[in-house]
Amino acid sequence: MKVFILVLVVISALTVIGSSVWVAAALIHAICPPHAARPELDARNPPDDISGS
Amino acid sequence: MDTVLSGAAIAVYVVLLVFVALRARAAREFEDFSVAKRELPLALIFGSIAADYIGPGFSIGFVGRGFKSGFLFLAVGLAYAVQNIFVGLLVAPKLRQLKDCYTLGDAIGQKYDRKCQILAGVISVALCTSFSAVMISAGSVVLNDIFGLPRWLSVSVIAVVTASYTTFGGLRASVVTDAFHFVLFALLLPVTLLYALLFHFQGGAASFFQQAFAATADGFGSTPTIQIIGFVAAFLLGETLIPPYANLALASKTTKVSRNGFILAGIFSTLWFTVMVAMGIVARTVVASDTKQDYVLLSFVGSIMPHAGYALLLVALVSIVLSSLDSLLNAGAVVFTQDIIRRFSMLPDALALKAGRYSTIIIAAVAAAAAVFVPSVIEGLLACYSIWAPAILPALIFGLWLKAPRPLAGILSMCTGTLVAVTFQFVLPTVIKVPAIIPALGSALLAYLFGHCLGKTNSGR
Repeated sequence: MKVFILVLVVISALTVIGSSVWVAAALIHAICPPHAARPELDARNPPDDISGS
Repeated sequence: MDTVLSGAAIAVYVVLLVFVALRARAAREFEDFSVAKRELPLALIFGSIAADYIGPGFSIGFVGRGFKSGFLFLAVGLAYAVQNIFVGLLVAPKLRQLKDCYTLGDAIGQKYDRKCQILAGVISVALCTSFSAVMISAGSVVLNDIFGLPRWLSVSVIAVVTASYTTFGGLRASVVTDAFHFVLFALLLPVTLLYALLFHFQGGAASFFQQAFAATADGFGSTPTIQIIGFVAAFLLGETLIPPYANLALASKTTKVSRNGFILAGIFSTLWFTVMVAMGIVARTVVASDTKQDYVLLSFVGSIMPHAGYALLLVALVSIVLSSLDSLLNAGAVVFTQDIIRRFSMLPDALALKAGRYSTIIIAAVAAAAAVFVPSVIEGLLACYSIWAPAILPALIFGLWLKAPRPLAGILSMCTGTLVAVTFQFVLPTVIKVPAIIPALGSALLAYLFGHCLGKTNSGR
């Protein structure tokens, strides 16, 4: 019982930390959209002219 | 040296906050400003709801409660989780289904009539401004602790920083910065607990159990039953669907996201309360027993963490305050524009967006002026809770669920709930022994029943 309560507390703390990682991933996705989200840079649709001329 | 470290931590935090707020980009339409074009995904809805409800009360307050009364407040906090789960199951999806709905007032207007919408708008704006004043006051206390700034200056800094990004970015900026704040404090505070358990707590599980048992027994022994019932009522109803949460329900990508966001936030609240109460229990072996409840967290972290860690905690506390404040400012501005200004003049989208921005600044200025007079954070929050639930919830929930709600019932319920709550909270606080929310909610329900029996349906709808 005594160990069980402490384990519950530790699991709660780790789950809260895990939630923050999940939200951090969504935050990064929201402020820096992934590369493939920009069609002109998508590997399947390379720009016609990449020489810069 | 302490001040330099604290200042450096705050500076890094402000730079990151500005970067995140700028990346959120400025709102270009009123629909973007008010409901972020209804495109928000589950993780951001969940993070924003959690960041909004975790204010000073649910962090500093809960650590202090854990210190004095152990797991008693975890049991009280379960009422809050239940409330969020019920909102997710029964109310949020119904709100999200409504067409052209930007605010709770819009929902009430669609179900009842224009007068009910305006009344709901006035109550919502007043409550958002009052909640904002309490949050600015709490933030100014933290800034005052760090830099020793005069009260008026710390109040101004908090109000100006938050209003600046909320004014331009609207709900999207508020949600994205909420996610940033959530990540900060949902990492820092549990890590502090684990650090304390690993390096500063002696005696292992047996000692933790002993401290928890002693504190909980103290808590039940020293708290009258009627007070526990009052706390449960306040946690169950006080913050239910206040305008920032309603805006998030409306801004969700789908009804499913809206439902799951609230359910997950409810489950998360139980985990969060467990961590906060456990910190309070661990603090019993570190902090002097006569420490005031509101200072337990600061004293505890100050005793066990190096200076840099203490500075980081102060940053987490500032972020807790700002994340609640930005949503309140945005919700107040959207409600003022949509439920009040737009009921009297048909503003085109560009002008509505401009009105929303000016409203944000005005609400922030009024709240900052009122913040100087807030007596204490907890008293201020309890006063707001006592008024919100009786004033709005009966009309909103019956309106969403009844097939033909009557406008008279909505008006009577909102007026009676507000008047009774204000009377027992401010004018005659010592006349009754129960918290004001209980008689006010009872009166609002009776008034609704009375109005429903006597009133006519809104045939023009």
